[in-house]
Amino acid sequence: MAILNITYDGMSVDYPRKINDGLADLDIRRIAVEVVRSGEVPGLHIAGLAERAFDHYVVDRLRTPQGELRMYLRPKVPFGEPAGDEAFRCVS
Amino acid sequence: MRIVICGVGALGSHAAVLCRNLPATLRLVDFDRVESKNLLGQAYVKPSIGKNKATALKLQLANFYGVAVEAFGVRLTSQNTHELLDEADLLVDCFDNHASRTLVSTFARARARACVHAAVSGDGTYGLIRWDDQFVPDAEDEEGQATCEGGEHLPMIGLVSATLARTLQEFVELGTRTNSMVSRSGITRV
Repeated sequence: MAILNITYDGMSVDYPRKINDGLADLDIRRIAVEVVRSGEVPGLHIAGLAERAFDHYVVDRLRTPQGELRMYLRPKVPFGEPAGDEAFRCVS
Repeated sequence: MRIVICGVGALGSHAAVLCRNLPATLRLVDFDRVESKNLLGQAYVKPSIGKNKATALKLQLANFYGVAVEAFGVRLTSQNTHELLDEADLLVDCFDNHASRTLVSTFARARARACVHAAVSGDGTYGLIRWDDQFVPDAEDEEGQATCEGGEHLPMIGLVSATLARTLQEFVELGTRTNSMVSRSGITRV
């Protein structure tokens, strides 16, 4: 289980409930849309959030120095070559 | 200590200016030239238009602050990474494309050099500072996708580059490596 941090429109907020860290990126994005729409993410409530709002977002899986696993749903940052197949991004 | 800043566009140029007092030799690497549009978001001044960015920034640092840095106005390729990067104690990736970032990361891992990456989203709302062991460069969604440009993003660029500068300072002075996220919510250490 891990905390999911969602960044959207410049706001970064933790979803207060831990979620299964084994979920695929596609599922993480779907859950994020639902919880942002429903108001379950404090400070990030967008009732009309588009279904595909997070389609081009990245899910990073990082461990804190204390060993806690956190997931970060965030916009892409650098640019360059055409996108290829999306790899499962998991770092420890 | 030698710090090599790869790419002195928006993030790299501001970070270099903010790191001018660090007890380290700065080396700037960038093949690009200063354009008038760069004045909106990068640390260049009008007289630098037309000059190579690395050379222009070297001149600015010398003339405005009396700080001497090294400048290489060339494109980083697999043929010259050894020459340009091998003397680095710390590599700082401020490039804006996947291929160049990968080049820096590959070199750093092969030589076990400290390497930190900095990046900003195309819409200027989010920034990332991440050490190489936890960094994977993003690919663009469509060919030719825009990078973060425009004067309206300057405050965020400033925040991210200042966070990067602080990260470099902590590495130089304390040997610590901190990852950070920068958004409108604030700066979060992760």
